[in-house]
Amino acid sequence: MSLPFINKVREKRFFANEMTQQALADKVGVTRQTIMAIEKGKYSPSLEVAFRIAVAFNTHLEDVFIYVGDAE
Amino acid sequence: MDMSFKEKSAWISLFSTVLIFGYYFYSVFQLSDLPVEQAKEVAKGLLIRAIVLSVIVEIIFHGMLAATNHKAAEMGADERDKLFEYRGNNFGYSILVIGVLFTLGRIITLEYNPQWNEHSSSLQIPLLTAHILMFSFILSEVARFAGQIYYYRRGY
Repeated sequence: MSLPFINKVREKRFFANEMTQQALADKVGVTRQTIMAIEKGKYSPSLEVAFRIAVAFNTHLEDVFIYVGDAE
Repeated sequence: MDMSFKEKSAWISLFSTVLIFGYYFYSVFQLSDLPVEQAKEVAKGLLIRAIVLSVIVEIIFHGMLAATNHKAAEMGADERDKLFEYRGNNFGYSILVIGVLFTLGRIITLEYNPQWNEHSSSLQIPLLTAHILMFSFILSEVARFAGQIYYYRRGY
């Protein structure tokens, strides 16, 4: 399954002092496996979780998730 | 294998259900050799034993899982867990509906054609209708857990 957006969660974690997946998961209120699935682009999070991730990095939603459209 | 708390829980439920009720149904099929009254008593005992064992195994293993994953157990299901649970439930429900419709069809068919009941002597298991319903229910449970695990392994 390819999602119509890419994400910069891994990159944002790196620039947030190598924040661990578990630390991000705790902040967002999901499991570490869910963060992992989001990073790999396997799982499309709800809008609420997407916002929570952006807030965890103190940034805007569009800085973390970028819409690229459906692959032809 | 990197598994979430809920996936581990689904594996425990799948294994315990398959093993306990697999043995139960295997034992029920052996009852056709016994006299009807005796077979009824044995079947009742087998069912009670399977249910009690299933509850005990679930409590012990889920207790152990929760004790070793305290934080995850307290957090409960997140949105991805809930999505996979919902999809698994849908899958299990479909199996259950098929089982119930099959049982209904069997009851109605035998009501209008009682002679078929006498001819189907190969399966002289007491409370056969109850066992078919029970089998459908257990199969739907297995499908539910297997479905959840499938989505967890697939990742989305």
